[in-house]
Amino acid sequence: MGARENILARIRRAQGRPGSGPTDAERAAVREAIARHEVGPQPPFAHAPDRLAQFLKECDRLGTTHDVLDSDARIPAALARYLDAGGLERRVTGWEAFAALDWAGAGIAFDNRPASGEDRTGLTGCFCAIAETGTALLLSAPAMPKVTALLPETHVLVVRRARLLDTMEEAFALLRAEVGDPPRAVFFVSGPSRTADIEQTIVIGAHGPYRVHVIVLES
Amino acid sequence: MKVGLFVTCLVDLSRPGIGFAALRLLEGAGCEVVVPAEQTCCGQPGYNSGGRDIAKALARKVLAEFRDCDYVVAPSGSCSGQMKVATVHDLFRDEPDLPEFERLAAKWYELSQFLVEVLKVEAVPGRFEGTVTYHDSCSGLRELGVKMQPRYLLQMAGASIAEMEGAERCCGFGGTFSVKLGDISTRMCEGKCESVRATGAGAIVGGDLGCLLNIEGRLRRTGDRETKVLHFAQVIAGEG
Amino acid sequence: MQVQSMFFKQRAREKLEDPLLQGNLRKAKGKFVDGRAKAVAEFGVWEEVRTHAAKVRDRALANLDAYLLEFEAHATRRGAVVHWAQTAEEACAIIVGIARDNGVRKATKSKSMVSEEVGLNEALEAAGVQVVETDLGEYILQLAHEPPSHIVAPAVHKSKEQVADLFVAAHGKPRLTEIPAMAREAREALRGHFLTADMGISGSNFLVAETGTTLTVTNEGNADMVTTIPRIHVVITGIEKVIGTMEDFATLIRLLPRSAVGQSIANYLTLTTGPKMPGDADGPEQMHIVLVDAGRTKLLGGPMQEMLRCIRCGACMNHCPVYQNVGGHAYGWVYPGPMGSILTPVYVGLENAGDLPNAATFCGECAVACPVKIPLPDLMRKLREQQFDRRLRPWPERWGIALWSFAAMRPGLYAFGTRIAARVARWMGGREGLIHALPGLDGWTKGRDMPAPAGRTFRELYRQRRGNHG
Repeated sequence: MGARENILARIRRAQGRPGSGPTDAERAAVREAIARHEVGPQPPFAHAPDRLAQFLKECDRLGTTHDVLDSDARIPAALARYLDAGGLERRVTGWEAFAALDWAGAGIAFDNRPASGEDRTGLTGCFCAIAETGTALLLSAPAMPKVTALLPETHVLVVRRARLLDTMEEAFALLRAEVGDPPRAVFFVSGPSRTADIEQTIVIGAHGPYRVHVIVLES
Repeated sequence: MKVGLFVTCLVDLSRPGIGFAALRLLEGAGCEVVVPAEQTCCGQPGYNSGGRDIAKALARKVLAEFRDCDYVVAPSGSCSGQMKVATVHDLFRDEPDLPEFERLAAKWYELSQFLVEVLKVEAVPGRFEGTVTYHDSCSGLRELGVKMQPRYLLQMAGASIAEMEGAERCCGFGGTFSVKLGDISTRMCEGKCESVRATGAGAIVGGDLGCLLNIEGRLRRTGDRETKVLHFAQVIAGEG
Repeated sequence: MQVQSMFFKQRAREKLEDPLLQGNLRKAKGKFVDGRAKAVAEFGVWEEVRTHAAKVRDRALANLDAYLLEFEAHATRRGAVVHWAQTAEEACAIIVGIARDNGVRKATKSKSMVSEEVGLNEALEAAGVQVVETDLGEYILQLAHEPPSHIVAPAVHKSKEQVADLFVAAHGKPRLTEIPAMAREAREALRGHFLTADMGISGSNFLVAETGTTLTVTNEGNADMVTTIPRIHVVITGIEKVIGTMEDFATLIRLLPRSAVGQSIANYLTLTTGPKMPGDADGPEQMHIVLVDAGRTKLLGGPMQEMLRCIRCGACMNHCPVYQNVGGHAYGWVYPGPMGSILTPVYVGLENAGDLPNAATFCGECAVACPVKIPLPDLMRKLREQQFDRRLRPWPERWGIALWSFAAMRPGLYAFGTRIAARVARWMGGREGLIHALPGLDGWTKGRDMPAPAGRTFRELYRQRRGNHG
């Protein structure tokens, strides 16, 4: 017998269940339990009356800066202001979804490709965002490289108001409804990367971005 | 109301005054107190050393001695935890006499809880002028919820309380732990003594003699002969 | 990893006498405990979520084989290769084999305690693979050639000055004094490794049965590099990590970072299902998942099964007064603190870690802090019961308990014995009432006096008083 069979048999023996592997009935019961997708208790603030305010409050706690705009067309100018205020280069590497915006008009050089370690600012969208924790959910997909959110020192993240949800459970339900099986990477980002590994002192900017800037689009 | 006093083995051996203080408090509040002469120990040292059968035998012995009482009261959170929690949640969970232990657990009280929650005393015989700091013993605090009761009683006696940093942190006693791993135990106790010293209180008061002997032992070894180490029963009964 | 747990007492004594370590431990203590307390206080429904989390974990553990097969079926369907390892040796052999078959020369790793358990780094290095730890704490310890001393903050025992010295030796740059500069230097040193490694090795905080998903929880973002960039991704994790659904994960992740460090959420939660899909912009070509037993099945099927709920948050050690004083290395194996005092004896043998279940006062702080309600003191007591039954404790301890219980069951003998003991000890205490040394109890009297008894027992005095009154 191989390791797999030995381990399964050992589990059953330890738990006093006969046989060398789960019965059909046991497997069916497990599938049923899974299919219920039972949602556990959630903290009161997860269902805040003003969802956007809750989201922005959590962003503040995480050190994520934010801007609320009324249309896509305003992204380049707003981004130019953000970059200038931080003394950052007016060059952005971003997802294809944003390639058609008028970047030249805002004086920004836009590269439509996955970011590399050399790129300073990465621009991405997200599948949805979660107000409870100030989190964005990104999925791996052909036109949505995750590295763009990860390698540059500054990550600019566009969140559409209509895709802002209360909780992670709602995000998973939406993922099931719209995508089905999860794609290879489901990636929750909550603020800039950090470490507290030296003397438990929090330092912003470990391996991922030093800055995360969220642009919420009302449209 | 007939109240059985469980003296505890440490009080019996080392500080009988605490037992008499408890007796005075209960009788003063109008209880008919019985002290079964055959009582020895609740069995916790055996239980925590892995001697399950020893613990069960001693728990049954305690049960037999206090069966006729309306209440049982002990001047210790640790022994009370053994008889209220360990018996019903672990030792006798699968035994036929579980219901008897459930009844015993329901009528068993740690002294300060009994005085405050059952007798609802509004005055105590003792008077204490000065400032004390209170050490929360682990079993009483985390198993039974003893926290405000002894402080309330101490204030009734006139004591003012200066809370120490980390009042809820273990003093390092832990029964046989204090001997088996004496170095760690001593260091934990030193942390407690530092907290006590920082309050400037003239007395450290607690509700479990094991912790108190530990703290007193460390204070004296490090040259502190002044700070009093007292059980709250002594203070509020006026036998401190 | 080499087991040193049989030397706990001696190692603990050394740690107590190490002033540098004591300073470092003191600095860390407050941050963890206060941070968690604040996060729990503002959460609102902590107990409800804890109870649900324990239920979710118990549900999967109660049918562990069926949940694992469900996980395996979905992971396989998505193109991952699932391997099963009964022992540490098997786990290492599997991963070394994957490295060999694919000509791997460099592997980047994000933090995995299971890999520490099985000694994976040593096995890969022996096979000629360069292994680079990328979690900052683990990276520091790799430079120092030391094992972690905490499961969440592995280098908690090091000061920034010690880190600065290690970095000078490793990076050959001027000595740094500020922590942010050190973090940046490590980021730069590791960036090249992320981009050039052939293999990424991660642990998995949970395995989601419904989808065959593995997942990592980090603040640094290193696990995302490790699971995204190299052409091969290897996950090594314990068989007990399986849960049913994404919703179960949502419950557990509300508890994990709050319990660990008081954060409402970790910065990066990365759920990985299978290798790169056709058309994906990034991701590995191969994904391997190694499910490790190595002692876990020994915990199943009895009261110890509750230990397998553990989600590795570290709250039990953060709140443990013993851990706070001796640090993680004293425990002598991978897992320190209360959770280690249970896992180590079970995984490496009770006879090799006899002091660990006894390294607790049963103060109960760990059980209160545990987000999945593991009754840690009760489980340590279960191990003490095994030691008692197998006569594994030293004879003076066993005889002491036997003698005491013999007397305690015989009230006449007990009364006589305590009457003598109270008088002898009173006499030993002298005028000050303090005993400075007591044979057999030097563990106590080395650092403390023993306050002497009053001289007569309560039962004597009570009888006398009753006699006088009537």
